Amino acid sequence: MLLEVQRAMRASLLARDDRGISAHIVPVGLTPEARLAVYRNTFVAVLTNALRLAFPAVSRLVGAEFFEGAVRVFIEAHPPHNACLDDYGAEFPGFLVGFPPAALVAYLPDVARLEWAVNRALHAPDAGHLDLKRLAALEEADRAQVRFVPHPSVRLLHAQHPVDAIWHAVLERDDAALAAVDLAAGPVRLLIGRSLDGVAITRLGESAWRFALDLFAGEPLDAALVRLADGEASALLADHLAAGHFVDFRIHAPALRPLLGRVS
Amino acid sequence: MAHRRSSTPPTAMGTQRSTIPAKAGIGLRFQHHQAVVEGRPDVAWFEVHAENYFGGGTRLRYLDAVAHDYPLSLHGTGLSLGSGEGLDDVHLERLRQLIERVDPGLVSEHLSWSAVDGIYLADLLPLPMTEEALAVVCRNVDRTQTCLQRRLLVENPSSYLRFAASAIPEWEFLAALAERTGCGILCDVNNIYVSASNQGWRPSAYIAGLPRAAIGEIHLAGHTVKRLENGQTLRIDDHGSRVAPAVWSLFAEALARFGPVPTLLEWDTNVPPLSVLLDEAARANALLSEAGREGRYADAA
Repeated sequence: MLLEVQRAMRASLLARDDRGISAHIVPVGLTPEARLAVYRNTFVAVLTNALRLAFPAVSRLVGAEFFEGAVRVFIEAHPPHNACLDDYGAEFPGFLVGFPPAALVAYLPDVARLEWAVNRALHAPDAGHLDLKRLAALEEADRAQVRFVPHPSVRLLHAQHPVDAIWHAVLERDDAALAAVDLAAGPVRLLIGRSLDGVAITRLGESAWRFALDLFAGEPLDAALVRLADGEASALLADHLAAGHFVDFRIHAPALRPLLGRVS
Repeated sequence: MAHRRSSTPPTAMGTQRSTIPAKAGIGLRFQHHQAVVEGRPDVAWFEVHAENYFGGGTRLRYLDAVAHDYPLSLHGTGLSLGSGEGLDDVHLERLRQLIERVDPGLVSEHLSWSAVDGIYLADLLPLPMTEEALAVVCRNVDRTQTCLQRRLLVENPSSYLRFAASAIPEWEFLAALAERTGCGILCDVNNIYVSASNQGWRPSAYIAGLPRAAIGEIHLAGHTVKRLENGQTLRIDDHGSRVAPAVWSLFAEALARFGPVPTLLEWDTNVPPLSVLLDEAARANALLSEAGREGRYADAA
């Protein structure tokens, strides 16, 4: 009986179908539907708030009413699967791509992708730091075969629009900066990671992007270095190490989990 | 009703854990992280929502700092103790790791459910008060206490409906749960008032029906009154205002029966400046000291 009630309640909250659950509710005073509406309001409000916290720039770009409407459709298609709501919303950027009313703002899904990367940078689990002494102690042949393990808070994002500039202008409520963004400026390649007091977003050039892509995909160091010009490598690698982008390394290890927001 | 003693150790595991004093604490929300860590206000203890600290980064740094300076209580909102299909292992493990990290003085959850078929319904949903539900909650509380090696406090939720199948008064359900699992009870006085008003119970009967020895904590918060089209009213537990006068009276009644216990002021919607929360806490402290001084609870058996 309990599971039956819980499934009927799920249909009421998620699909606005009160037929199953109403029969279980004592119809004294208020109707079962009026009572269920209290729970549904909380359910929608809590998730809307979670998504507004994760996607503040998207929310501002489209306005509160549009955002809430989009979120309602999203929640029904992609309800959360665990109670940690910082983890909720991974599918939202993809959902916006297929949400016709959002097509008016071409860069909206890219802004959402950046915001999800920022959200992960803020809330991904803590992890240790790479032991540089261990790295330095390796034989040269082994060092060439090093495959780095990226920090869970680091993301790479390739976007068709300058979403870092858009994101910043929207959150700062800087209309002049937003108006000055050149949407035709071409794609941006971004590295998003945790900084001491929050999040750091860095634009990468072509070769730095390829290098980061290779390293974060668990390619061995020598294979990643082959693509770089002489003299470029040590500075780029030093930047990654100093920023704490790697938590560990392995030698001859299998490839690691994918980190990409999107590669086009 | 078959009474079964749990094998779970019902008390703390004997570490250096800071105990939560029988004074007013404040529910710490993100808005006040910095003010608390930098200003170190005079507050007896803080409570946070466990799920807000399941990730890493800056928030967890703040929590470490708060746990260093104050007694800390962890209040879960998403374990779903009433889920018929059992608990989410990943959630339980994340809670266990957080407990290991901050070593809280109290750990609490709700007499409610929020997950079914792997979907999280983001609210504290009501349970039918049946023997079946009681067996499910007992099983889930047993499992939680075994995994955490802690005594759990279970809080009465606010509710807006009653199931036709409900045969056990909520206070008796909680009493049976405490009896069978060794868990404690977190008595939310505002929730009692809200549920009683929405369902036509007498709040005093609820307080009188709870087992005194099991009460480990009290919650206080504000609620709003919603007037519906048909002229009826519904009280909504939104934690968005000061504690209502009738709830302060019920709190005094609870203290007269339970004696002074750790009491939390919660505020989650339109969170005000910290000074407002300190003011509410001072009011709770006055009643707590009075209850302690008069020892009225000792005569209330």
